[in-house]
Parts: sequence; C-alpha cells; structure tokens
Amino acid sequence: MKLPIFKKLAFGLASVLTIGMVSSVSAETLRVGMECTYAPFNYKTADGELAGYDVDVANGVGRIIGADLEFVCQEWDGMIPALLANKFDLIIASMSITEKRMKKIDFSGPYRFSTGRMLGPKSKEMDLFDDAGNPIPDNFKGLRVGLERATTYSNWFEEILPGADVVLYDGSEPLYLDLQNGRVDLIMTNPMKAHLKFLSKPDGAGFEFKGPTVDEVKYFGIGVGIGMRQGEDDLKGRLNTALKELINSGELEKYALKIFPFKLHKDEWGL
Amino acid sequence: MDVLAGWWDDYFWGAVVVGKVFFCSLALMIIFGLLGAMAKLSNSRVAQKIAGAYTVVFRGTPEILVVLLLYFGSAVVLTAIAQVFNPEIKFVDVPPFWAGTIAISIIVGSYATETFRGAFLGVHPGSIEAARALGMSDLQTFVYVRIPEMWRLALPPFGNHMLSLVKDTALISIIGLNETMFVAKQAITVTGKPFTMYIVVGAIYLGFSTVVTLFVMGAEKFGERTTVGAK
Amino acid sequence: MSFDLQLIIESLPVMLMGIGITFKLLVISGVLGLLLAICLLLMRISGLWYLNIPAQIYIYVFRGTPILVQIFIVYYGLPQFESVRESIFWPILREPTGCAILALSLNTGAYVSEILRGGVLGVDKGVLEAGSALGMSAHQKFIYITTPIATRLALPAYSNDVISLLKSTALASTITIADMTGIARTIVADTYAPYEIFISLAVVYMIFTFGLQKLFGIIEGYLGQYTKRE
Repeated sequence: MKLPIFKKLAFGLASVLTIGMVSSVSAETLRVGMECTYAPFNYKTADGELAGYDVDVANGVGRIIGADLEFVCQEWDGMIPALLANKFDLIIASMSITEKRMKKIDFSGPYRFSTGRMLGPKSKEMDLFDDAGNPIPDNFKGLRVGLERATTYSNWFEEILPGADVVLYDGSEPLYLDLQNGRVDLIMTNPMKAHLKFLSKPDGAGFEFKGPTVDEVKYFGIGVGIGMRQGEDDLKGRLNTALKELINSGELEKYALKIFPFKLHKDEWGL
Repeated sequence: MDVLAGWWDDYFWGAVVVGKVFFCSLALMIIFGLLGAMAKLSNSRVAQKIAGAYTVVFRGTPEILVVLLLYFGSAVVLTAIAQVFNPEIKFVDVPPFWAGTIAISIIVGSYATETFRGAFLGVHPGSIEAARALGMSDLQTFVYVRIPEMWRLALPPFGNHMLSLVKDTALISIIGLNETMFVAKQAITVTGKPFTMYIVVGAIYLGFSTVVTLFVMGAEKFGERTTVGAK
Repeated sequence: MSFDLQLIIESLPVMLMGIGITFKLLVISGVLGLLLAICLLLMRISGLWYLNIPAQIYIYVFRGTPILVQIFIVYYGLPQFESVRESIFWPILREPTGCAILALSLNTGAYVSEILRGGVLGVDKGVLEAGSALGMSAHQKFIYITTPIATRLALPAYSNDVISLLKSTALASTITIADMTGIARTIVADTYAPYEIFISLAVVYMIFTFGLQKLFGIIEGYLGQYTKRE
C-alpha cells in the first residue's frame, strides 16, 4: 500500500529535480531578475510585455554578448538573497552599486545615475535641508517618512537620520499611493521617476520636491549597475564591454530619450 | 471600468496559474496527508514521531514564512543533494511555481493528515470484521472497505482544505508567481487604481471557491447515493 | 550551506520586539472578530430572511477570498476613494495597524460565526425540550442552555481558528507593519541571510502556537469538567 504512494512521490521529486537540472545545463541563457513593478525602469504593460530602461539595457547587453535572456520577477527586498540562491544570474533592476552590496555581490560598471530626492505635499512647509545641503534632523520630527525596504534611500535614512519615523514598504508604487492619500508626509525616491510618473501627472499636482538631490556616493554609489554573483569575472568583463558599446554607440542614450528629455548616464562611463 | 481594458487577458492567465497551482497542490496535499495519516496510525514509533513533528511544525508556522523559506532555501538544499549524485551540477533551482505549490501542499497536508487520520479511525470496525470474515486480504480491505468509508467521512473538512489551497495561492505572488495578485500589482503600477484591481482578484478567487464548494456538495451527494434516508 | 548562529543570536531580540504588535493584532482582532461572529450567528439563527441572507452572503464572501486580498483591499484599495479619506474613519484607516485589525476582524468574524453555529446546532434537542418542559422561554433557553453547551462544543474548532489568526498576523508585514515577520524581512533584506532568520522566526511562531494550544487545553478542561465521564 505504501509502495505505490512512495513511487508517486519519488517520481514527483525526480521530475522536479530533472526540470531543475535541465535548466542548469542549457547553453548561454542568462536569467535576469527585476522588480517588474518599477515604472519607468522595469514594469509590465497591459499587453503583458516587460518594458522600461532596465529592460532595454538588458536586451541590448544580451544581444551584444550573444546570450538568450529569461526575465524573472522578484520583490525588491528579496533581490540579492534570490541572486545568491541562484534564482537568476543577473540583477538589472536599477540597483545602485554600493559598498554594502559589493560585500555580497559583484557589479558591472554603472549604466545610470543614482540619486535620491524627497517628495512632500505642497501644503506643508518643510525646511528639511540647510544651505549646505545637509539635512536638519529636528525638522524631521513629527513627519512620517515612507521608504522602500532595502534601498539606497532607506539606507541613507538609517545612517543619517536614525531618529526619523520611518515606515518601510515592499515596493515603490504603494509609496506613491500612500503619499497621495496622506498616510505618509514624506517619501524619498528616485527623482527621475518621481518627476515623470508623479509630479507631471494630475495625481501629483499637490506635491513637490522637498530639498535638494542627494547623491552621496557612500550611500548611492557611483550609479546603478548590473548585479551578479561574486567570482564571475569573465561574465563581468563581457557585460562591461557590452555596456561600454551601448554608451559609445549612443544606444544607451536612445533608451533614455524614450522616456526622459535627457540621458541618464555619464559619457565617461564608456571609456 | 475602462481602466481594466487590456488587463483582462492578464487576469485570465493569472487565473489559469491559480488553477494549475490548485491541481498540482491538491495532488501533493493528498499524498502528504495520506502519508502522514498512515504514519500516525502505523505501529512504528519512529513514523509516529516524525508525523507528529510534521503536523506540529507546519500547523504552527505562518504560511507566508514556509513559502519564503522554501523559495530561498530549497535551491541550496536541493543543489547540495544533487551534487552528491553528480558533482558537475552547479545548481538546481526550484522555480516559484513549484516552491510555492510544494509549500502550500506541505502546510495544508499537515491539516489533511489529521483529517485523514480521524476519518480512518472512523471506519466502522464492524465493516473491517466483515471484510476479514469474507476472506479479503489487507490490500483488498483497504481499497474496497476502508477508502470508500473514509473519504465520505473526510469530505466536509477536506473541502475546507481544498478551499485553503485555493486561497493560499495568493501568497505565492510574494515570491513572484505570475498569478492574479501579481497581475494586480503590475496593473496598479500602470493605472494607479488599487481598489478596482484587487476587487477583481477577490472576485476571481471567489469564483474558484464557489466552484470548489459546488464540487464538494456534488461529491457529498455522490457519496450518499446508496445511503438510505440521507438528508 | 553555512548556518550563521551568530546572526540568529543577534537578530532574535530584534525580531521579538515585534511580538508586542503581533500580540496586539491577535488579541484585538480576536475580540472584535468574536463580537462580529456572535452578531452574525444571531442573524443566521434568527429565522428572519432579511437577517439570514445578508449574513450568509457576508460569510460566503469573506471565507471565499484570501485574507491577503482582503488586507490589500482595506489598506491599498479604500484610500482610492476621496470619500474614505475625508470620513471619520480615516484616522483608523490611515494607520496600517488599524487596517490590519479591520481586515483580520472581518475575516475571522466570518469563520468564527460558522464555528459557533456548528456548536449551536450540536446542542442536544433533548436538553432543549427539558428546558421547555421546565417553562423556560426561548431567550432563557438560549442563554442558560444553548450558550454554555455550544461554547464547549465549539471550543476545539475555535482554538484552531485563533491559531490561524495568529498565523494571519504575519501577513500584516505586507502592509508595512513592523511585526515579527516585518522585522524579519527587513533583517533578511539587510543581511541577505533568509534561512537563518526565517527558520528562527518559524520557531518563535511555533512556540507561540504551542502556548496557545496549552491555554485552550486548560480552558477546555475547565469548561468540560462535568463531562469527564466519557
């Protein structure tokens, strides 16, 4: 009686392993992890297609190095653990190259600026930064700040303003939604995205940037790059070559101009 | 309502995924439940203790934790196992579909273990004696006497377990499975209308629950068809 | 697979800071859910169609949809409407904890009402007839006979539901609440060590569950003290 059932179970396990093993042996297919809910950098359109700056970069790089790409959607706070657990091979998800992250994973060269800026309602007067561009901790009292977990923004806040009243979110969209409905008074996020998707739309009419752009390299790194597991120097070399080609041929700029009236990288990265 | 235009087909495919997860996890859940029940009812103390640990661990841990653990941990464990057999293999990965399906099957399976155990114990001793008297072997007794009585007893709580499977599918969205909740998150990124999107998800799940409930009611009628005086 | 014990020892106290919130969610939702369940139960057994049908619809909807969806609709969905944001409920709905308690109570209320109904239906008719014979009114029978017996019958199933409620509180982490699971996810995101953290968290929940089971065991023993002949 137990035998038929055990046989079924063994068969089931064996097929799962086989499926896994098959996916591990195939030729140059690189799996790319991204959030899929971070417009305009990586998101899904109504047609079910992935679109955005990161997607374009991924496709461009894949084309140049001659690899097939498979996209995997992953919640942001599990992005690095998932890479380390072999769920995918590359992270192309607007992930900033920071020292903290470099302890666990490797990065290619940068392909986009990484900065942060705060957003708040126009109706509230907020004097958050002094003239030198340093934040004034006292003026953050009584303000509830929304941040996405495990981001450069939450990191910056943790180190610079540890006493602030911070609420951590799983994704970026809920952040904007809650700013709109007043659950949080302030958010810190990517200023390019904020401008495009929020401030220039009717929903964002009552909001504005509070304070200058923050781009301390210590927290934001030199930019966003392609993440990969440590020890893959060959892959890193190929990716860097591909990125430089995209920059020098002007293709990277084309991707940016699809969404913004300016390019998102520094030309010197192509050298 | 036109905000939903273009998303209907995504929701449809998401619902298909929910269906796939349901059937796969149903099969696995029955397997786990039966194994656990038989272990608990067996004469082996070891089997009983293992099954006991199984039910305690998975009835006491939040489903979302089991899903997250299986997703991150499974690859490492399976890779280690696979490398024992074939050192060439660099990694074995379990995609979110299977990590999630197995996770919810294990969890609901632990409840099913108790249900099946109770149902097996509820089989009339008289029926077993009659089978013995007729000279039936153990296997014949199991197939022709125990199972038929047992599934009828187990049906109402089993129906609840099936509903749990349907609803726990929503949790797998957290590890990236492209079912309806995940579709909703993507749709919200583009449309900014969370209420509408999540209501659709709720309606889809309600639809599934209704189908399962109707199926269970039909199965109960089927089970009672030879019973005199059934209500 | 290196198991970082040091990490667990450092992280456990941090995660346990969330136990207060977990407990708060459990107790408040449990109590509110029970009150709601009693209302629904009375509506269901009232025999009046205009009370019975709405109750049945409510129970059907809340038991037929995932709790995660319900939490998301309350937290992310409701503020979509201007009218909600300007209503008197906004101070509660503004807080993620308020939303979690609301969603959890609505959900557990539906389940518990069915459990209570099962208990009520399980009361032996003979005992009720004895009550009538003694001249008790319908109200008196309900209060003095049905309620004590139904409570005792429903208790095992109810304890299961309370444990389910405990596990559902972990979902509050998806709407920014810093309960044990929420803190754990933040630690995992910072240290990239999912299994050490999640396994130790699972152990904490199991201990909590064990405690609840023991507690209910004591209550069941106390309520059933006169039925021990079985």
